Amino acid sequence: MKYRMPTRQEKTLLNRALDKWGVFEYFKEKLLMIGHEDDGSAKICIVSPESRAASSKLEPYFLGLVIGDLKKQFAPSLPGADLFARVGKSNEYYITVDENAEKLVLYGRDVMGNSILQCSDTIDENELVIILNSRNESIGVGRTRFAGSSLLQKGKITVTTLADAGQYLRDEG
Amino acid sequence: MKAIIFPDSAESSSLAGKYNYDRWLVSRFLEYVPDVHDFLDKMEKPPTQYIRANTIKIEPDELKIRLESKGFSLKETLLPEVLAVQKAPMSIGATTDYMLGHYYIQDLSSCLAVDALDVKEKQTVIDIAAAPGGKTTFMAQRMKDTGCIVAIEPNERRARAMSFNLARCGVSNTCILQLDGTKADKLGMKFDRVLLDAPCSCEGVIAKDVTRKTSHTPTDVEVCSDRQQRMIESAAKLVKPGGLLVYSTCSFAPEENEVIVDWLLRKFDNIVIEPLDYGTNGLTRFNDMVFSDDLKNTRRLYPHIHDTTGFFIARLRMGVT
Repeated sequence: MKYRMPTRQEKTLLNRALDKWGVFEYFKEKLLMIGHEDDGSAKICIVSPESRAASSKLEPYFLGLVIGDLKKQFAPSLPGADLFARVGKSNEYYITVDENAEKLVLYGRDVMGNSILQCSDTIDENELVIILNSRNESIGVGRTRFAGSSLLQKGKITVTTLADAGQYLRDEG
Repeated sequence: MKAIIFPDSAESSSLAGKYNYDRWLVSRFLEYVPDVHDFLDKMEKPPTQYIRANTIKIEPDELKIRLESKGFSLKETLLPEVLAVQKAPMSIGATTDYMLGHYYIQDLSSCLAVDALDVKEKQTVIDIAAAPGGKTTFMAQRMKDTGCIVAIEPNERRARAMSFNLARCGVSNTCILQLDGTKADKLGMKFDRVLLDAPCSCEGVIAKDVTRKTSHTPTDVEVCSDRQQRMIESAAKLVKPGGLLVYSTCSFAPEENEVIVDWLLRKFDNIVIEPLDYGTNGLTRFNDMVFSDDLKNTRRLYPHIHDTTGFFIARLRMGVT
């Protein structure tokens, strides 16, 4: 990947996104860079100041930790979701699922309404959400199929799983 | 250098036959592995599995409680982050905590090599031949994910696999370079700490890959030894004055260990081999070779004595005046 600092416009977009995910304060002191894949997609990477200094003299194959993709909007990656869940304040964009659903999500399965332990009344349909287990650890990233309390509908898939931590294991195989 | 071959003896022939090894290898083990009978017995058994808690995400005590609640039995080791798996109701690589990056499956010997490097927060560190990233992620957690680790791996597929492991462990202080480790000295940078866990003939991990009993050849030792000499020369040039270079392998072969470190001591001035608190002394003689007496400060770890994979560690303080 090729790495560069974000433009002012990108910084504004990122600040808004980080605020949305409840991690703006944490990232105030952190350094973010943009990495471009060969296909042109932009990855947002958290980088230490020392790594940035080193990368200016080197040609990194990979730098820092990818916390998400930046297209029209910011979408958290798995490591990004994990970091946000650890350092941020859970808000409407986080849903909590029960133990049974946790196992299913880690196999890449979608979330049934009756397995959601906690979600916001104000969340819209078609929103990105971080899927948490009952210990408030991120197990994946999903997209809502319904709005607000309709997410709790019994017997229906209400959140599509887009990425899950089980991928790390599946990729090893 | 060429692997030294010793004549067969009745003992080496008998042991080679009993344990299904090539005779040349057992003849060599008799020269540098203590209690060879116990060693060969131990290599017939599955090695002890170790996990290392990823303190970027979880404390070792909390991890132990979680895994024990799932039926695992874990025992503390020399290092606070490392736990020995004594009973496992399922594969240790298939738990939710593993997927969430709460631990890394890594032998204690590998972790001791990182411990020997004594990394500190905000340092600059280079890990030569870093994939799949076990030692890199351990260094990162010891550095509290600050500073910079330059992780070198020449193979793209392995470099990519390493990036997945770093992501799973939540490590952000790393810069992966696709580069041949023998050319690392051309980077134009100096580092506080340099880790060279050199590619080796893997004599120490025969218990994990029993095909090595007969597929391992003297040429492997020679090829590895020559490359290790080039790599350690390059690594030595990367260390800031007063910094540390840790050289390690998972081989017992002196040609890959003491011979390499002794060569470095003769090549560069002002290197001190610092003692370590574990393992047994490195060799100061092998066949007709006599090494610097300081080589006793290097460390050998044996499966049948230390319950780790076979390992060699040398901690070298560079540019000491």
